[in-house]
Amino acid sequence: MTSELEPAGWHVVVGTARGAVHYARGMPNQDSAEYQADAETAATVVAVADGHGHSRHARSAIGSALAVQVSCRVAAQFAGSLASQPAADGAAEAAREHLPLAIVREWRGEVAKHLSAHPYTESEQAALAEAGDEPEVPYGSTLLVAVIAGRWLACAQIGDGDVIAVRPDGTALCPVPGDSRLDGQHTTSLCQPDAEDDFRTAAHDLSGEPLLALLVATDGFGNAQSSASWQGEVARDIVALAAEHDHGWFAVHVPDWAERCASADGSGDDTTIALLLAPRDSWTR
Amino acid sequence: MAEHVTPLAPYSRMPGGGISRRPLHVIILADCSGGMKGEKIQALNFAIADMMPHLEAWEHDQEQAQVFIRAIAFATEPRWHIRDPVPVAGIRWKPLQPVAKGLTNMGPAFALAAEALAPGQIERRALRPALLLITDGLATDPPGGFEAGLGTLLAQPAGRAALRLSIAIGRDAQSDALTRFIGDPTVPVLVADSTEDIADRLVAASLAVSRMSETGADRGAVMRRLFGPAEGFPPGVFDQDTII
Repeated sequence: MTSELEPAGWHVVVGTARGAVHYARGMPNQDSAEYQADAETAATVVAVADGHGHSRHARSAIGSALAVQVSCRVAAQFAGSLASQPAADGAAEAAREHLPLAIVREWRGEVAKHLSAHPYTESEQAALAEAGDEPEVPYGSTLLVAVIAGRWLACAQIGDGDVIAVRPDGTALCPVPGDSRLDGQHTTSLCQPDAEDDFRTAAHDLSGEPLLALLVATDGFGNAQSSASWQGEVARDIVALAAEHDHGWFAVHVPDWAERCASADGSGDDTTIALLLAPRDSWTR
Repeated sequence: MAEHVTPLAPYSRMPGGGISRRPLHVIILADCSGGMKGEKIQALNFAIADMMPHLEAWEHDQEQAQVFIRAIAFATEPRWHIRDPVPVAGIRWKPLQPVAKGLTNMGPAFALAAEALAPGQIERRALRPALLLITDGLATDPPGGFEAGLGTLLAQPAGRAALRLSIAIGRDAQSDALTRFIGDPTVPVLVADSTEDIADRLVAASLAVSRMSETGADRGAVMRRLFGPAEGFPPGVFDQDTII
């Protein structure tokens, strides 16, 4: 699947693919992605989410879809105050204070609405009770959201996946702090109590250090990469590709990257890639 | 590590250094103490060699993992029998040799495995590894040695997360130490009552390693199928791809 957007300066391309393991098991693509741009404020918002594959999370595809919807809404509302931040500390603090709490509150509200419209069956209810899980657990999902407003890039992430900022010189920057608890089998999640406390947030000053691109991906992408130092190699190659090709080329190829990573030659997992390409004059001046 | 990396076709121009399946590291810890000499070591070598095609077939049939084998031969001291991870596809098993008068010191073997599982030594994207301990006797570690080695292993995140299985060759080898290595008293020690049983138990262990490594696998069901009734298996023992 592909989609594309370029109303506010940053060019957004999204590709998502169902994992080979999900094909084999008859599971859907549980990843979701959404983005929006506000031509008036020149803000761009992108969110990707990865619904958990375990049987405890049977509604995770819905959970991830709700996650990207509410996070885009929350981040778009936040863009105005982010753009007006005068300093990096303030931008980082604003992202930390605003995004996790509002996203979790709205996500839980949307889950409650969905649950009200589609109550658990008796067997689902029994499984929930046996596991001792809260009603939100079947909707469990990670979330990565990036908002670009004014001179700021702000990111918020819960769970696994990667945000790779690409500098014009081809080096990579990972703005969001890591989480040593994420071991490949277990992840932090929107469905956990106090999920807002498990968000990692960051703010980056684009005027001080311009970026050529931002790649936001679910863990199906990173888990497919052979190299241990793949982030730097990906950044280097994106810069080279951007020098050779226009945005239309990426619109064709990003979905192909997702397909290949999701295949049995890669991670075999659902893979979603959102690639944001900066306006050329933002990093060449 | 001779990893199978899918080269990127020029037309595709995907950024990065290529893609491949996620590694699944299997480390065999094989008892090579003096007591293993003769028929037992021969049977063990045969059984391990026989297990490899099962793992290879599974690797071929699923969509997620590439299996790599390593082996530690332990007696009074441990040593790497296969130090660098070898793809299971096409592996040729080099026979283990018993150590004359060698003891069954397990703690140092666990510590050696821990070194291989330390951050930076194992890929961040690797599936949780599998450790397979095979022994015909009780641990002979000096006081505190077993616990120290096991503590070193469990101090590593990958060691703690590892699927740890144990095969006892003979009822006498089924000990509390093996249960502690497994880390959950509800997961059984696989007992080979005779040398003829070793191959069967290793095949069962390889099936356990493979099936339980699959994303979304119902691990309780796998355990029931392989090892019998599962009243004792808590649902969380083999869960993965879920919340912390």
